[in-house]
Amino acid sequence: MNFLHLLARNRLALAGLIVMLLIVLLALITPLLPLADPDVTNTAERFKRPFEDNAMLGTDHLGRDLLSRLLWGGRLSLAVGFASALIAAVIGATIGIVAGFYGGRTDNVIMRGVDMLMAFPYILLALAIVAALGPGLINALIAVAAVNIPFFARNIRGVTVSIAHREFVDAARLSGMSDARIILTEVLPNVIPVIVIAMSTTVGWMILETAGLSFLGLGSQPPQADLGSMLGEARSALITNPHTSIVPGAMILVIVMAINLLGDGVRDALDPRLRSGALSRPMPNTLVRRKDPVPETKIDALLELNGLKTQFHSNGRIHKAVGGVDLCVEAGECVGIIGESGSGKSVTALSVMGLVASPPGVITAGAVHFAGQELLGAPYETLRRLRGDRVAYIFQDPQATLHPLYTVGRQLVEAIRAHHPTSRANAHERAVELLRSVRIPNAEMRIDSYPHEMSGGMRQRVGIAMALANDPDLIIADEPTTALDVTVQAQILSLLSDLQRERGLAIIFITHDFGVVAQLCNRVAVMYAGRIVEEGPTDAILNSPAHPYTARLMACVPELGRGRRELAAIPGLPPVLDMLPQGCAFADRCHRVQDACRTGNISLSAIDDERAVRCIFPETPAMDKAQ
Amino acid sequence: MAGYIIKRLVSAIPVLLGISIIVFLIMAMIPGDPATAILGSYATPENVEKLNRDLGLDKPLVHRYFIWLGNMLQGDFGRSFSLNRAVIHEVMERFNATLILAGTSFVICSVLGVAAGTVSAARQYGLADKAITFSVLLGISIPSFFLGMMMILVFAVNLRWLPVSGMWPIYGARDLSSLISHLTLPALVLSVVATGVIARLSRSAMLEVLRQDFIRTARAKGVHERSVIWRHALRAAMVSIIPVLGIQAGFVLSGAVYIEIVFQWPGVGRMLVDAILKRDILLVQGGVVFVAACYVMFNIAVDVAQSLLDPRIKT
Repeated sequence: MNFLHLLARNRLALAGLIVMLLIVLLALITPLLPLADPDVTNTAERFKRPFEDNAMLGTDHLGRDLLSRLLWGGRLSLAVGFASALIAAVIGATIGIVAGFYGGRTDNVIMRGVDMLMAFPYILLALAIVAALGPGLINALIAVAAVNIPFFARNIRGVTVSIAHREFVDAARLSGMSDARIILTEVLPNVIPVIVIAMSTTVGWMILETAGLSFLGLGSQPPQADLGSMLGEARSALITNPHTSIVPGAMILVIVMAINLLGDGVRDALDPRLRSGALSRPMPNTLVRRKDPVPETKIDALLELNGLKTQFHSNGRIHKAVGGVDLCVEAGECVGIIGESGSGKSVTALSVMGLVASPPGVITAGAVHFAGQELLGAPYETLRRLRGDRVAYIFQDPQATLHPLYTVGRQLVEAIRAHHPTSRANAHERAVELLRSVRIPNAEMRIDSYPHEMSGGMRQRVGIAMALANDPDLIIADEPTTALDVTVQAQILSLLSDLQRERGLAIIFITHDFGVVAQLCNRVAVMYAGRIVEEGPTDAILNSPAHPYTARLMACVPELGRGRRELAAIPGLPPVLDMLPQGCAFADRCHRVQDACRTGNISLSAIDDERAVRCIFPETPAMDKAQ
Repeated sequence: MAGYIIKRLVSAIPVLLGISIIVFLIMAMIPGDPATAILGSYATPENVEKLNRDLGLDKPLVHRYFIWLGNMLQGDFGRSFSLNRAVIHEVMERFNATLILAGTSFVICSVLGVAAGTVSAARQYGLADKAITFSVLLGISIPSFFLGMMMILVFAVNLRWLPVSGMWPIYGARDLSSLISHLTLPALVLSVVATGVIARLSRSAMLEVLRQDFIRTARAKGVHERSVIWRHALRAAMVSIIPVLGIQAGFVLSGAVYIEIVFQWPGVGRMLVDAILKRDILLVQGGVVFVAACYVMFNIAVDVAQSLLDPRIKT
C-alpha cells in the first residue's frame, strides 16, 4: 500500500498510469468496437484526410481506415513489447539467479557469456538474429528479447549474490531444503522488486525496438501491421500525406512516454534512496528563513553569534541541531567548542559562513556578525568574498575534503587565486611556501601529489595550508585532528598554536577532546543538545566545571599518571533533537536533577565576570573536591 | 600508459573471439541449406557446390568456425552475392559514412547531454531542471525514425533549410559545406535519445558528487559557484559519466540503422537491412563482426580516457 501511495503522490507517474490504463483498455476492447476492417483495401478511398467523410483519422495509401489500423496496430505493438519484456525478464532473471546463487565457476562462465553479448552494439545483435531467423514479427520479438536478456541477467545476478549468503538462506540450506526450493521460496521473493524495476524501465525500450524492426521491414509483414510497420509503409507518402505517418508515430510516442513516466515513478517509489529524498544537492548558501526580528550586534568583537538557530527539515520532521547559540570571538583569540557527537558544534561552525547543507538545513533565527557585518542572509557574493579569504575552514578527514582528482598544488593555487588575481606562477610559488610553512618536507615535489598519494597527517597539513592561503583573520577548525593518530595530532596542534601566535589568528576549535582544548584554547564553550551549557576561560572550567554535564564529560577523560581513577561514562543518551524536552536537556542524565530542572527555559547566566552556565543547581568548587 | 593500453588491447582478444563465436553461432542457426541461403535461391548448382567446398560445409561446426576465423583474420570476409563484391570492401566503404554520422552524433550527445545534466543538477527543482527533465523524457520516448521523418517534413520540405536526404548532393561539389548541410538533420536526430540518457545519468552523477565533502571545501575556499559546478563537481562526476558515454556510443552506432534508412544515408546500417531483406548472409555476418569489433576498440579508448582522467586508476 505504501508503494501505491508513493506512486500516487508522484503526479507525473499517476498521469502515465492513467494514460497507460486507457491505452491498455482500448487495446483490450478493440475487437468489440464497431471499426472498419483494418486490412480491407479500397484504393478509390486512399489518402483521405482526418475527419473526411466517416474516417475519423483518414485512410492510408491503400484506402484502409487509419483509426482501425491504429487501434489494431497499437494492440499488436503493446502485446509484442510486453511479451518481449516478459521473455527477457524471465530468461534473464533465471540466468542471473542461477549465476548469483551458485557462484564460482558457474557464475564465471555465465557472466563471461553475458559480457560478450553486452560487447555488441545493442541493435546490431538484434539485426544479426533477425538475419538468421528471417524477417517476421515473432522473430523480431525473439531478437529484441534476446538482446535484453544480458541486462536482466546482470542486474538480477548482482542482487542474488547479495542475498545468497544472508542468514535466512543459510538457515534454509541447513534445514535441508533443496536448492530449487530455496531459490523459489527465499531468493525469488527478494529479487522480484528488482525485476519489476528493470522491467518498468525497459518495456518502453522494447516497444520502441520492436516497432523499429517493423519500421525497417524486418518485423510484422503485410497485411498484418503494428505501429512500426504502419510508419514504415507511410514513409513513402510522408511529403504528400503526412497524416498517415503522424498518426502511428504519435501513438508510439504517447505509449512509450506514458510507460516511461510510470516506470520512473515505480523506480522512485521502490528505490529507498530516492524515497527518503536523500538525493538533493546542497545549495551554495544555507537557506536563511528568520521569522523573529534579527538581533543587533552589541559588542565590537571579530565574530559574534547571536541566538543562532539552525535546523534540518526533512520528511516533515524538524531536527533542531542548533537551538540558540551565543558566542563571541575576539581577534587573536582561540575559542574551543566542545561536546559529544551530535551536540551541534559542527553545525554551529558551518552556519557562520552559510556552509550547512541546504536542503535540508535552514537557519531559522539569530545573527552572525563578522567584523560588524551581518552574514546571515547576506548575498552569495558577499559570503564568497569572505570565505577562504578572511574566514577559513579546516575540516576533519582530509581524504574526503580534498578534491581527489586535482593535485594539492592545483587546489592551493585555486584557493589563492579565488581571492587574489595573480599569475599562476606566483600562486604556485606561494603554494610551495605555504606547504613549507605547515612543515611538509620536500614541498616542491609534494605539491604535484594527488591527495590519495599522501598520508592522513600530510593531507591534514595541506588542509591547514589551504586555510592559511590568504592570511585569514579567523580559522574555524572542525575536529581537524580527530582522524589522526596521537603523535601526528600533537604535531598538528603545536603547528596550529605556533601559527596562531605568529600571525595573530583567531581560531574556533571544535573538538570532543578536553586535552586538545587545554593545549590550545583561551576560552571554551561546552555544547549539549544544540546549546551552550557552559562557557568561560579554559583554566577555570578545567579546574572547576560548573555544569554537571561538563563535570561528567571531564570524568570521561583518562589522565596520565592518575591510573587509579575510575572512568565514568555518562549514563543514558542525548535527547532526540526533534523532540527536545522542556527545561534542561541534560536533566534525564544528570545526578543532580530536581523538579525545577524540567520546567521553563533555563538561561545561560553569569556566575562571575568571565563565566556563564546554563544550570539552576551548578556544581560548586567545594562539592567538586568532595567528589 | 603504453603498458596499460597494451594490457587493455590484450584483454580485448577474448571479447573479440567471443563476438565472432556468437555471430558464427547465430548464423549457424539458419535453417536449410546454408549455401542456398548465402547465394540466394537463384544460385547455380556449380556455385552452390563451390561455396560448400570453400566454406568447408561438409566439415564439423568447430572446424568450420576456425576456417571462417582464419579467413577473416586475413581480411577475407567472403563475397556478397547481391552486390557481387568483396564484403570487406563494401563494409569499409559503408562504415566510413556511418562513422561520420555516428561520430558527429556522439560528439553532439556527449556535449549536450553532459551540459544539460549538469545544469539540471545545479538548479535541482528549478525551472531549468524541470524543463530539461521534461525534454529528456520526451527525447527518450520518441522513436528516432518518427522524429527523423517529422524533421524532414518541417526543416527540409516546408522550410527548405536543409536537404531532404542523402550524404552528398546529386549534382554539385562534394565539399565540406555540402556534407555539413546533409549531415545536420540526421546527426541531430540520431543524437536525441543518447543525449537524453546521458543527461539523466549526468544529472544523478552530479547530484551524488555535489553532496560530497570536497564540494563544501571548494565553497569554503571561496571558489565561485560556477567553478564549483563546472570544474570541481563535473570533473569528479565525469568518472562515472564516461563509462555511460561508452555504452551510449554503442547505441548511437547501432541506432544509426534507423536514421540511415530515414535519411537514405549510405551507411553500414542501411547496407545491413538491405542485406537481411535479400538474405545476403555473408554481408550481414561481415558487417556485424566488423562493426562490433570497432565498438570493442572504441571502448578500449574510453577506458584509456578514463585512466587519464582519474589518477587513482593504476595504469
